Amino acid sequence: MSKSQNKGFTKEEELLLQDFSRNVSTKSSALFYGNAFIVSAVPIWLFWRIHMMEIYSSLILFVVVTALSTYLLAIAYRNTKFTLKHKIAMKREDAVTRELLKKLSDDKKMSKKEKDERILWQKNEVADFEATTYSIFHNNAIFLTIVIVASFYILRSFSPSVNYTLSIGTASGLLALLSTGTK
Amino acid sequence: MLQKLAILFAAFTVAICVEEKTGEIQGARLLISKQILNRYLVEGKDIEVRYSLHNIGKSPAVQVELKDNGFNSDAFEVVGGHLSTKFARIPPESNFTHVVVVRPNKYGYFNFSSAEVSYKVSDAPDAQTQVSYSSEPGEGGIVAFRDYDKKFSSHYWDWLAFALMTCPSLVIPLVLWYNSKSSYEKVSKPSKKN
Repeated sequence: MSKSQNKGFTKEEELLLQDFSRNVSTKSSALFYGNAFIVSAVPIWLFWRIHMMEIYSSLILFVVVTALSTYLLAIAYRNTKFTLKHKIAMKREDAVTRELLKKLSDDKKMSKKEKDERILWQKNEVADFEATTYSIFHNNAIFLTIVIVASFYILRSFSPSVNYTLSIGTASGLLALLSTGTK
Repeated sequence: MLQKLAILFAAFTVAICVEEKTGEIQGARLLISKQILNRYLVEGKDIEVRYSLHNIGKSPAVQVELKDNGFNSDAFEVVGGHLSTKFARIPPESNFTHVVVVRPNKYGYFNFSSAEVSYKVSDAPDAQTQVSYSSEPGEGGIVAFRDYDKKFSSHYWDWLAFALMTCPSLVIPLVLWYNSKSSYEKVSKPSKKN
């Protein structure tokens, strides 16, 4: 039923749906998971070199915690991006319209509807790009800050394994949880 | 009567003691102390051991031979100095100091035992050879290097490497976002002026 409904959507409606959808494209998803994996794995360096954890004996723990953290961070990226995208789209609407109209002013063959579609598409692209990059930066910065503060100050007296699990788990869990807020 | 006998006995004992003491001090007499100078004993880090030999006798100590068998080659590597050494002569009322630097290969508790010193009690050719032992520093805990490093190292290079590793994941998205933001804000600015 939903398929038949989808078929009925116009191009403009599909663009709008894409604009308001929480789903992300495969490319975007790969970017999120790739980034989340790198940021989740980098703290292993700190725990290996500074907290003196054994790499080989803690390998399973590293793999499990990194996988969990990657998943949670990817959720946080996606949710933050979704929240930001609308705000950015509204902010950029004016500039995108102005820029595109300037570009398309020579093309007199293009209908108004087509121009509107192009504007909508461009706005969506710009908002998507800015929301993605900002979401990655924002979550990475908070994640690393929480990990450093937790592992070197709050959980300092705990054993390295507990410290690692709790600091990475708390940082990624907290980010995933906070990203679900609608603010 | 009994009291008189007791006093006599006491006087006799004191006399023997004094005689013994003065007799001993006639020749050389070495007091040897062995000290570990480090505050922290760390695996793979130098440990300084100081041997102080004081001659409290009236004669010089001759052919003094100091030997420390306490540091076996399995657990320790000698980095500086020698564990056995010879001094030709230690004059009376003077002292000698000998320092050895060793490096432990293992961590754990280690019993620092005493060193052995043999010497002739005087210059005379028929002087008797005396063997004595130094003080014993006792049991000391050698800390594993990783534990020591964890506690005291500043890890500058490790932090630098961490910063370099995290940089791309922070800087790249920030720069991309900022470029896009500033380029569109430039476009939208003239509209505000108009």
